[in-house]
Amino acid sequence: MPHVDEGTLHAYLDGELPFAERKTLDVHLAECASCRTMLEEERALLDRASALLGAARPTERPAPPFEQLSVPRPPRRSPWRVRTPVAWAASIALALGIGYYLRQPSTGPVASAPEQHDVALVQQANERDKFAERFTQPAERADENKPAPGTPRSHAAARAPSPVPAPAPSTVAAVAVPIPQAPPLAVARDIAEGVVKTAPVAKTDSVAASALIVDGGIVRQQSAASQSRNAAPAPAPALEYMSTDSLARGAAGVSQATSRQSVELRGRATTTSWPIISRGTARSLLGTDPVGLPGLARQIRRSPAADGTVVVEQRIDSATTIQIFQRQSGTAALDSSAKAEIAPADRLARYLGRLRVEISGPLSTDSLNKLLDQVQPLP
Amino acid sequence: MPDDIAEVYRNTYPALVRFLYRKVWDAERAADLAQEAFARAVVHKPENTRGWLFVVAANMARDEARRAAREKRHLTLLKNEPDAVHSEPDEAIDADRQRSAVRAALEQLTPRDREALLLWDAGMSYDEIATQTGLARGAIGTTLARARRRLVEAYDAGIEGGQHAARG
Repeated sequence: MPHVDEGTLHAYLDGELPFAERKTLDVHLAECASCRTMLEEERALLDRASALLGAARPTERPAPPFEQLSVPRPPRRSPWRVRTPVAWAASIALALGIGYYLRQPSTGPVASAPEQHDVALVQQANERDKFAERFTQPAERADENKPAPGTPRSHAAARAPSPVPAPAPSTVAAVAVPIPQAPPLAVARDIAEGVVKTAPVAKTDSVAASALIVDGGIVRQQSAASQSRNAAPAPAPALEYMSTDSLARGAAGVSQATSRQSVELRGRATTTSWPIISRGTARSLLGTDPVGLPGLARQIRRSPAADGTVVVEQRIDSATTIQIFQRQSGTAALDSSAKAEIAPADRLARYLGRLRVEISGPLSTDSLNKLLDQVQPLP
Repeated sequence: MPDDIAEVYRNTYPALVRFLYRKVWDAERAADLAQEAFARAVVHKPENTRGWLFVVAANMARDEARRAAREKRHLTLLKNEPDAVHSEPDEAIDADRQRSAVRAALEQLTPRDREALLLWDAGMSYDEIATQTGLARGAIGTTLARARRRLVEAYDAGIEGGQHAARG
């Protein structure tokens, strides 16, 4: 046998030489001193190389348990498969939201006609569930007290309720709060009572009265649904809200959709869809400290319309939340046409320093008035 | 029939980490990549789990290396800077320095030689290395012999160079 090459020797040393070759090599090594020397040199080289590689090894750490590895990882690999339906729902909801948002400008003038408001409000009520059916009647009753349509006053009042109906699409998912399709009976009763309480006292435009009711109703549902108003709503309920909304819009039909939808939104899109802001942001929007009732938990939101309106929401008790709308008195806002009115029917209002402050909530006018008197700059 | 991945995991994890470490030179990252490779194996259920793991790991390490290429070269240069006060023998060279010297030496090997060497060190057989690298099985011994020799030579040259520089 001729002398062996180093590759064969390494394979031999590595124990990877096929059996037959190995036997032959063994025989040769026994006879050939130079090959034995070479073998020892290669063995030294091999050991040295292994030692060097050994010096470049990470600190040995025990492997994490296999279960730990296999359980959380696979879901991480395929998150979209799991969430596809959710993603679709979100896309559709967002598309509808954007679509609605874009067509919003054309609805303004139509919405200010009081008759259409009334019709739409009743229709909106029908589209909603039991709770809505209950408040339709008082709303119609209040209708009798309505001033002649078309007067500046009713026009102003009609425009006054819930400042900006359409939430900016980007904020909807983040802050929208679920409006359950079928609120519990107890809540429905509360709302109905709220109607009875508020509507006669207000003695004015039905739109205004209804808007207040709806405001109150939603606030109540919300506090019933979630004890912590400070907690950001979960995305899933937000979707629910969106789809409920879009379903109702679908039911509204295409023909008279414009006026109807605007009113519907006016009722629905209360401040629950307004972006939550910090006190500092509120301060910069208002140019002064936001006002509210001291000593109560609060949530500050801003109008998505960027008109400088801020609302401070405060919980009187577990089921009652009041809203304190405020903006700089000098700025032109949504209800600027109602400025002549110190206290428009839908919300009691007063001026506090540089702010125009309005209060709204599921309470009697007297109670709201007293609360409004106690409003002061929040620390 | 796919291998029992849990079993392969127990047997192969340390080797895979080591293999990856010599490519990314970061113990944490190596462990992360190894776990990622196993996680992929759990999903893909390959026939030859071990071989598949090393292929995937090598690919991940290469992607990683590409991303960090510039940074890595810079680091190597820094680590190759001779320590002015260091003139002690091999044994006294601290672990960090030795590791960087091995790293620098490994980087002087051809990619194929280095891959074969690292796979062997990770516990792969010649057959497996052949499958993995595309080399003929009969060429593995020669490849490994060359790789080992170059590694040792490059390492010694690096250390010597460092000491020369330190003395001079």
